[in-house]
Amino acid sequence: MPHVMDPQERAESVELKIYRSLVIGFLLLVMGGALSIPFVYESQTLWYQLGIKKIMLRGGQMAGLLAATLLFVQILLAARGKLLKKLFGVAALMRWHRTNGIIVSLLAVIHVMLVLAPEGVANLPISKKYWPEMVGIALLWIILSMAISSRFREKLGLDYKKWRIIHKMLGYLVVLLIAVHVLFVSDSFEHAIPRAALFTSFLGVLLSVVLNKIASGSSKL
Amino acid sequence: MKKFSCIIIALIFLALTGQTVFAAARAWELDNNHSNFYFRVGHIFSKINGQFNDFSGEVLFDPNNLAESRFFFQIKTESINTNIAKRDRHLQSVDFFDADKYPLITFESIKITDAGNNVFHVFGKFTIKGESYDLMLPLTLAGIKDHPAVKGKEVIGFNGELTIDRLAYKVGSGKFYEIGIVGKDVEILVTLEALSDK
Repeated sequence: MPHVMDPQERAESVELKIYRSLVIGFLLLVMGGALSIPFVYESQTLWYQLGIKKIMLRGGQMAGLLAATLLFVQILLAARGKLLKKLFGVAALMRWHRTNGIIVSLLAVIHVMLVLAPEGVANLPISKKYWPEMVGIALLWIILSMAISSRFREKLGLDYKKWRIIHKMLGYLVVLLIAVHVLFVSDSFEHAIPRAALFTSFLGVLLSVVLNKIASGSSKL
Repeated sequence: MKKFSCIIIALIFLALTGQTVFAAARAWELDNNHSNFYFRVGHIFSKINGQFNDFSGEVLFDPNNLAESRFFFQIKTESINTNIAKRDRHLQSVDFFDADKYPLITFESIKITDAGNNVFHVFGKFTIKGESYDLMLPLTLAGIKDHPAVKGKEVIGFNGELTIDRLAYKVGSGKFYEIGIVGKDVEILVTLEALSDK
């Protein structure tokens, strides 16, 4: 027998849908904003690339910014705040966290390939003066190792508790490193609006994690 | 006895003249911290300054023995520095120096002539991006004197300026010149200090 919703249940369901749509809409807006940065606040590096190289570099920048945005989202999915749990449920959040991890890894690889290719893969930015790029290289390895160890944890024989602690710590480290990498690697972020957006995103994620920790700690009490 | 004295005098004369003609010119050790290979190139309207931070060289120089004097410089292409790391990386790329394939720029003197007023024309082979070109580097001898900070040493100084067309040396294909971003004429300033025992 099909479940018939009473008016209150129906109203709650509509409210839930509206909130879900708002969260997804906000996420799409943030992603759109991130993707617009290489166009609206074009980096000077793009001045010196022509034709296909310019397309590759801009595409690489877009892939990187999308990866960074999704990395922030990844932390929110992992933190599983009260609001997100209520709106989407734990199972969905966990599923999206896994899928998002793979998407972030793929975008990170695409970003590195497209950004390095125009100036030659033999001409890698490896020296002290290229430290922001080297932070990016470290990030790539951390993200890939996190994704691989998560996907193949059992096959690799990794102990769940130990893996989880390391995964969590690396997750926070990645968010910190991505903020540093983005801020110093791209002159687009010398402009006030992209810079403010980055700081707001970083602090927003940090705050939501801290507040969630406090809330879960007090609920345990 | 007279014959013996003549032979001795002749031998001494030969030894002395031989030393003047065949001895290598005085060796000077390049002071890398106070020597530089600077360059300046146009960017639309402005000028961009840069330098190469990693280089080595040999200086054998005696203004009275130019035949045995010699200059040799070796510059590491990847050490290019224009104060913007991303620009340096672009300059190292195939668009300009192709530093991975051609890690060194060298200049080896063949002949040095005195042009007067302490100016010496150093003719040599300039090798860049794997190809050698004849190049004359005009160096002005700034002086030779006791080093003010190092006892027992003398210091020699040279300054030289020249302008080269980078496209003639295949540093760039010309696409950035054609669209009016990067100039083709590069002003080069070679400024050297070298030390030698007194």
